Amino acid sequence: MEDIFESSLHLEETHFEEGYSDGYKHGLVIGKEEAQQVGLRVGFEAGEELGFYRGCIEVWNFAIRVDQTRFSDRIQKMIKQMEELVEKYPVFDPESESVQELMEALRLKFRAISATLGMKLEYNGYPKMGQDPKEMGF
Amino acid sequence: MELYEGGCELKLLETLEGHSDRVWSLAWNPVTAAAGTPLVFASCSGDKTVRIWENTPSHSASWTCKAVLEDTHTRTVRSCAWSPSGKLLATASFDATTAIWENVGGDYECVSTLEGHENEVKSVSWNASGTLLATCGRDKSVWIWELQPGNEFECVSVLQGHTQDVKMVQWHPSTDVLFSCSYDNTIKVWAGDDDDWQCVQTLGEPNSGHSSTVWALSFNASGDKMVTCSDDLTLKIWETDNIQMHSGDGYAPWRHLCTLTGYHDRSIFSVHWSSEGIIASGAADDAIRFFVENRDGLVDGPTYKLLLKKEKAHDMDINSIQWSSGEKRLLASASDDGTIKIWELASLCMENGH
Repeated sequence: MEDIFESSLHLEETHFEEGYSDGYKHGLVIGKEEAQQVGLRVGFEAGEELGFYRGCIEVWNFAIRVDQTRFSDRIQKMIKQMEELVEKYPVFDPESESVQELMEALRLKFRAISATLGMKLEYNGYPKMGQDPKEMGF
Repeated sequence: MELYEGGCELKLLETLEGHSDRVWSLAWNPVTAAAGTPLVFASCSGDKTVRIWENTPSHSASWTCKAVLEDTHTRTVRSCAWSPSGKLLATASFDATTAIWENVGGDYECVSTLEGHENEVKSVSWNASGTLLATCGRDKSVWIWELQPGNEFECVSVLQGHTQDVKMVQWHPSTDVLFSCSYDNTIKVWAGDDDDWQCVQTLGEPNSGHSSTVWALSFNASGDKMVTCSDDLTLKIWETDNIQMHSGDGYAPWRHLCTLTGYHDRSIFSVHWSSEGIIASGAADDAIRFFVENRDGLVDGPTYKLLLKKEKAHDMDINSIQWSSGEKRLLASASDDGTIKIWELASLCMENGH
């Protein structure tokens, strides 16, 4: 007797569990797809920026070898420091806590070097330091 | 210091017109007013130019514009600073560049342009020896440059730390320690070992700091005290241990000494400490105020009192106020009203026979 009524008494709960289970399975699939997309994009962006800096460093190092006197000690030291930062970047460990810090440090060094060399070189992929459209200039 | 016992007044010597937009800042050439050379100062404006003014020796109350530095900056010139030798003038602009000018036989030539800031440069300052230049701006960064032979500059460091627009940078008068103040309500102290510069102290609300934008800072003559002014309507005096500072460690911590509240009811944009110890402030209520140390009273630690208030000194906000380094108590003020005024703080009666 009780069995017949049991199922109708717990109707809401049963439907809830069914819906939850369906949603969860679906979420797992969608979540994984999305995560893959995000991972690819972020990885690509980081890789592109890192590659850009490596390219600049290679050209600068080549130029230094061609004519060392044209580059001051300070500039050469900065380029070396930048090179070290690029080496240190954990390419295979994107969840490492130092990625953000290292990238920021690289961007700063790059700006300091380009400012001293008088180059208007800019990497167009990353967000600008002071971007806040709400602020006015006084 | 007893000179003002008889009271004093602020005399307007001259009102200088010429700029076609608000005047943001001015800077006295540090080597003039010595041994007969006429006083010179530079002013910079929203009209994208910098003007050089000279005190004509034949008429002691008369100032003329000797040069207009134009066609270089493409936006407002926000700040200017002379090198300690008086030979170079650095001008900081909203066009994101800092220009370096040299006086070549009366004509000013732009000999160098410093680029690097992402947007508006707000302030520029030379260190005491003239070897380093600091700039800051809306991109929240502070840049340190080193002067090389041939008026070239090398970027020594790009300093991040402020979380908002940096309004002013100022080097300490005797050591190579850099101070910056910002829209983020803090004052930061930067010290460097070789090329490695770091923020060694932040003076914020937890240290009795300001509760709103800090617009300017100024040191006393001995460099052991500093005054800051803010949107929070107060002036704050800070002090440090001078002996420790010069001991070779290069840096000694700063602590809050006192706060001057209730004297201003609008933002204070500029503050300057004279070599004699008189603090001048310029505010958004168009008034100039003077403060001196209060020697009476048995309070432990110095306090400061209002010496004089000049209301309606200008028709609009006062953006900058600067004492000249000469013998007379001359100062200049720059305003949104497009004018520059030259004042003299004069005693009403003779010295007290001290």
